[in-house]
Amino acid sequence: MSAAPKNLINERLLHMDKHLELRGVSKRFGTANVLSDVDLTIARGEFVCLLGPSGCGKTTLLRIISGFESASSGQLLLDGQEISHVAPHLRGFGMVFQSLALFPHMTVAENIAYGMKLKGVAAAQRASRVEELLHMVQLPAIADRPVSALSGGQRQRVAIARALAVPPKLFLLDEPLSALDAQLRDSMQIELRQLQQQFGVTTVVVTHDQHEAMMLSDRLVVLKGGRVQQCDTPSQVYRKPANAFVAEFLGAANLLPGMVRGPGVIEVLGSALALPTNLPAGSAVTLAVRSEDLRFEPTHADAPARPNSISGEIDFLRDLGAKSELILRCGDERLRCHGGDAQFQSARCGQRVNVLIDAERCSVFAA
Amino acid sequence: MATATSITTPVASPAASPATPRAGRGSFGWVMGTLAGLGLLIAALPVVIILIMSFSGGTNLDFPPQSLSLRWYGAAFDVLFGDKSEGTMSAFSAMTSSLIVGLITMLASVSVCVPLSYAVVRSHGRWRHLAELLFTLPIVFPLVVLGVAYLLMTEALSRETGVDLGLLRLAIPHITLALPFVLRNCLSAMSGVGVDLEEAAMSLGASPLRAILHVVVPLMKPGIMAGLIFAFIISFNEFTVTFFMYTIDVRTLPIWMYSRTVSSLDPTTLAISTLIIALDVALIAWVDKLVAGKGSLF
Repeated sequence: MSAAPKNLINERLLHMDKHLELRGVSKRFGTANVLSDVDLTIARGEFVCLLGPSGCGKTTLLRIISGFESASSGQLLLDGQEISHVAPHLRGFGMVFQSLALFPHMTVAENIAYGMKLKGVAAAQRASRVEELLHMVQLPAIADRPVSALSGGQRQRVAIARALAVPPKLFLLDEPLSALDAQLRDSMQIELRQLQQQFGVTTVVVTHDQHEAMMLSDRLVVLKGGRVQQCDTPSQVYRKPANAFVAEFLGAANLLPGMVRGPGVIEVLGSALALPTNLPAGSAVTLAVRSEDLRFEPTHADAPARPNSISGEIDFLRDLGAKSELILRCGDERLRCHGGDAQFQSARCGQRVNVLIDAERCSVFAA
Repeated sequence: MATATSITTPVASPAASPATPRAGRGSFGWVMGTLAGLGLLIAALPVVIILIMSFSGGTNLDFPPQSLSLRWYGAAFDVLFGDKSEGTMSAFSAMTSSLIVGLITMLASVSVCVPLSYAVVRSHGRWRHLAELLFTLPIVFPLVVLGVAYLLMTEALSRETGVDLGLLRLAIPHITLALPFVLRNCLSAMSGVGVDLEEAAMSLGASPLRAILHVVVPLMKPGIMAGLIFAFIISFNEFTVTFFMYTIDVRTLPIWMYSRTVSSLDPTTLAISTLIIALDVALIAWVDKLVAGKGSLF
């Protein structure tokens, strides 16, 4: 189970047009290992999200790619050329900072044109390019405004336009949408994705928001404690998480302790479940089931046990409109469960239920 | 509010209770107001008296003046810019020296403090306190001792190497005295310039030096300008250390005014003082405008 997706990735790597390659990148601050042996290959035109909780090293990794931080060891290759020691201003990567870092003493047009000015682009050409870019980010007619007069969303777009003004080799964004409110963030995600496809630029985004990462990227790199936990397409990472951490981090999974009892049999909370596993009998495992993948059926105390189910009780119930959320208590564990089916409509607090575990929709990890 | 008042001041007389919510601060506020007024009076009185006296119509320094006139401003103009008599020459050259020394102090202290504040702020504050302490040392030092120290050093230098510092013998101590003020202005200006702005400039292709010139320096500009003006005012008004350092050829306007006052106390110096005060006020108003921006007093 662990070998299969890895081979798949290797297969993919053979055929892809490698743009950026990280080989064994590590970063130490004093005695702390911020990044340990990160290998990552990014294809041309790919949109990659570095995802993880705060302190996982994702921002450090982006800063190493941008050149503002240097790796303690390892290599950075762009189109096969080693760039570890190239100064950041010579790398030609466009970057959007978390703070956006718009120059407050310049107008919108001056901000966007700054990179072109450094490249010696003629003034007339700069002006027309600024117009074009502002049109692309849907902000016509604000070129002459000072940056301080812009709203959050407008600043965001100007920062993106500035980074793309001189077509960058690599487009790097550090938590670019974190300062926006939920609604604006949602529409900016779509716009950002469209812009990226329009420009066809290889893009790396750092985020701690798994929804944002799923929405934006071609490939997710899940990091924890400076190590890559999983690197795959959003749907693969979601459906086949590599370990319990990934399962939990990507969308509210329930983690249950269990024990392998025999080939294909795992005991969880006193019930024997038929689940695929190749771990030897006696090994402790963690079972991960997403809240939306849990199903249950009403039962009563002296009903015969159903196969592949855990008996429990509805502990808490609330209606979220289109969906309902409920908490099932099974022994000492509490399972969170989401859904909009009829069974949720008829559920009552205190009701005894059988929690059905679908082997197709859960993952088993060695604990 | 009313209940709170009755609880906290149970001894308050019935007559006092229907007062405004600020009544509790009444007597306290009155004391504060008096003290503040007294402080202001003490600070402003010398300036006000000199201002009045400089318009005196009499020939002596009796206060209050018997009549008012502009005669001493005429005399001051004659002394500074009029026909070249011997006294006029020395007053004019003292003023020129003051201006040149002030300019040197301005430029030198700012060109030290801008890079220094950059380095200090970018070192994540580790050196900040040490640098501030070192640069503040000259102002906690007794000025008389500082004057003696500079005199000893300058004399030793000219004796051993024969180097004549010229106006620099005044400018160097002035720079020392101006540095803490200029450094503070530059540090606070620099603190407001995030490293992300510099990195943004670099990500757009600016070399580190260009990033500083295009982004950091323009954003530090109000602080730099304030530092320049402070340095000039400090140098232009400095007396104590300058008193040790001046020579017959190298003297500043305050020294000239002092020697003039010692020999003959006439209102000409007061008129010149008023002009200097006017210049200082104008410069300080400018600093205030630069630093406070829209919230400026002026």
